[in-house]
Amino acid sequence: MPSVIEVHGLTKRFGELLAVDRLSFTVERGAVTGFLGPNGAGKTTTLRMLLGLVASSSGTATINGCPYRELSEPRHVVGAVLEASNPYPGRTAVNHLRIEALAGDIPRARVDEVLDLVDLTEAAGRRVGQYSLGMRQRLGLATALLGDPEILILDEPANGLDPEGVHWLRRLLRRLADEGRTVLVSSHILAEVAQTVDSVVIMDHGRLVTQARLDELTERATQVIRVRTPRPAELAALLAENGAGARLAGPDRLEVTGASGETIGTLAAEAAIPIYETSAEAADLEDVFLQLTGNLADQEAVR
Amino acid sequence: MTRLVRVELLKLRTMRVTYGLLAAAAAVTALFSSLQASGAGRSVPPVSTAAGLSDVTTVSGVAMILAAVLGVIVTSGEFRHTNITLTYLATPDRRRVLGAKAIATAFVGACYGLAAGIVATAVGLAFVAAHGDPVTVGAATMIGHIAGAGAGAALLAALGVGVGSLIRSQLAGVIGVFVWCLVIESILGGSLSAIRPYLPYTAATTLGGAKLGAGAFGPGYSVSAQQALPFLAAAALLAAVAAAVAAIASRTTVRGDIT
Repeated sequence: MPSVIEVHGLTKRFGELLAVDRLSFTVERGAVTGFLGPNGAGKTTTLRMLLGLVASSSGTATINGCPYRELSEPRHVVGAVLEASNPYPGRTAVNHLRIEALAGDIPRARVDEVLDLVDLTEAAGRRVGQYSLGMRQRLGLATALLGDPEILILDEPANGLDPEGVHWLRRLLRRLADEGRTVLVSSHILAEVAQTVDSVVIMDHGRLVTQARLDELTERATQVIRVRTPRPAELAALLAENGAGARLAGPDRLEVTGASGETIGTLAAEAAIPIYETSAEAADLEDVFLQLTGNLADQEAVR
Repeated sequence: MTRLVRVELLKLRTMRVTYGLLAAAAAVTALFSSLQASGAGRSVPPVSTAAGLSDVTTVSGVAMILAAVLGVIVTSGEFRHTNITLTYLATPDRRRVLGAKAIATAFVGACYGLAAGIVATAVGLAFVAAHGDPVTVGAATMIGHIAGAGAGAALLAALGVGVGSLIRSQLAGVIGVFVWCLVIESILGGSLSAIRPYLPYTAATTLGGAKLGAGAFGPGYSVSAQQALPFLAAAALLAAVAAAVAAIASRTTVRGDIT
């Protein structure tokens, strides 16, 4: 599938701070891509560079092959919801959308359509400053959808939404994807987007950690097998020789990854190492995400 | 560009501050022109004279300051409320956005100046009528002063747009406008009289028919011995200053990152 968003060697330095470091990734047409990383990873800066709001120190970021600033009618191509991009608080939602529609050369009738789409029709006459955070997120989505764009770039859209709102957002994203739109949605919580995305781009400390399809990432959610044996060091060495990972988890316990229960049993039998007990435990997707972004160790240290 | 100007006009129409500043401009002008008229005949010429009546009908300086304040708010306010992000997402060409804001705000600023000119003229004529004096200033002159007030306020509003883009801080920009117009120009104009006609706010007030230096604190503070710039020269000067500030802003802060 062709890429609609291409980021190559993108770098941003704010003085001494290297916010984004030689980042490269692509987003395929028609896919919902999760843009993941912990807070401060550089996601927002990357998205703002992609949208021409922040100048890159080096590298390129293009949409349909050209920089955002060179798109002739950007609202018809890309709809974006970014953090810290609030409408003027003294203006009503409907007037805000009228302004955005005029700026994007979009028919006035579309304002009512998007208000209905995000369930804000009844609150359209209220000033945006009176809106809750969740309502402002919905209004942001309405603004992004005004031009009926083929690409949506959403920065932490679930922030401020209650559980019902998050559910509503998931359904909306899925519906937009089913309509063939390309969606790049950032989040610092994988679980928030795991039900919606086809693939993920994970970054941390300004760098790309991995870009993978979600099913590939699921495969990396390796099974951990806990083994109780009186000779754990010998078994660990044996497993390591056979390409598995083994970690001493106690005087008579091992945690093994990269080997099935059958393999562990066979190897132990051949070496006449007794095994008293085995139990399998699957790591979940969130663990993989945290491992990839280096946060698992931090969290365990806290525990 | 036409669409962008319409966008900016729609923004101005849907901001309460636009109407608040217009009301303030009209109210303060009514107050100041009434005070000027009521004091006429004592420290200043009576309204029965052309000089006295003109001193009342040309009290439009505050409206021009408020037009400049509106210009500052139009640009710096978008940074303050973070809606500048939405503006640049819709129109990535930032210089065109700045140009459209300057044109639209100048249009609204002109309304401030015209409103102030009409209010001041009405107050002056009311005082003349109340005293049973003859109207000693021609209609064409009074209309010219009203139009000049509109022109001066329009140009100061456009200048305010550039200042707001350059400073980005709304509070600093608004305070800066008042300090510049009422304090710095008074000090500069008072100590260096040769540059007085070329000071932007002073030049704008002379477009509205005010005496040179009268804009800040009233006709009593004017320097009668010195001539104001001709109308077109003063207008050109203000337009040049507004363009220069906008050019500096577009090459510096307007290019900056929107984080």
